[in-house]
Amino acid sequence: MVSTKKTKKTHESINNRLALVMKSGKYTLGYKTVLRTLRSSKAKLIIIANNCPPLRKSEIEYYAMLAKVGVHHFNGNNVDLGTACGKYYRVCCLSIIDPGDSDIIKSMPGSSETPLHGWWCIYRSNPLLV
Amino acid sequence: MVKFLKPNKAVIVLQGRFAGRKAVIVKNFDDGTRDRPYGHCLVAGISKYPKKVIRKDSAKKTAKKSRVKAFVKVVNYNHIMPTRYTLDVDLKDAITGDALESRDKKVTACKEIKARFEERFKTGKNRWFFSKLRF
Repeated sequence: MVSTKKTKKTHESINNRLALVMKSGKYTLGYKTVLRTLRSSKAKLIIIANNCPPLRKSEIEYYAMLAKVGVHHFNGNNVDLGTACGKYYRVCCLSIIDPGDSDIIKSMPGSSETPLHGWWCIYRSNPLLV
Repeated sequence: MVKFLKPNKAVIVLQGRFAGRKAVIVKNFDDGTRDRPYGHCLVAGISKYPKKVIRKDSAKKTAKKSRVKAFVKVVNYNHIMPTRYTLDVDLKDAITGDALESRDKKVTACKEIKARFEERFKTGKNRWFFSKLRF
């Protein structure tokens, strides 16, 4: 009981933060632009919907690992993520370039524990790879 | 937030004749040029991988199996997959700015790169780069 309540509360807070980013910050929606922002190191946070195809999800996570950018797995599918962004279309992945007034970047890093996190620790701790 | 498409980064070419081949970035053009208004880079890669050398091969056979064929290409960033590996081979002086202008210059550049790759392969370092990607 307690855990479901807790996830609902944090989920709402993510939605609130995302709404604030949409209003006051800079972002891009969509797979192609997400990769583009990762390559140009403009992205600060990536959000992926839960029904994103696993190959695409792994690819975005790998790019984010190389760019040392956090990834958040949104608790909802692309329809929900589109709604959370205030759009009338589906959004599978989005990239936040400038959070504006929102504190989404500061409060999110703990949730970027992806399966690649182990990779990332090895990558960061190895001076030869950086 | 870290730029990772830098010279000496190992990448995999995804499209074109050399799809599936590993390459190393020589020069980046992040903002494109007038002819190519998109992010692209000059890569030098392996067109033919060296074959597997076993202990009972004679010296002549080893030499023949360790040959590498190289290529030089300008690729769009969308058509490469960066990896976490790097290859520290100095290729900047081998590939001058006009290496891709004429076929002869391209061939001489490829020969130079081939020599550098082969000498690196023979030291046994960067084993991942010289192994074929299985897919």
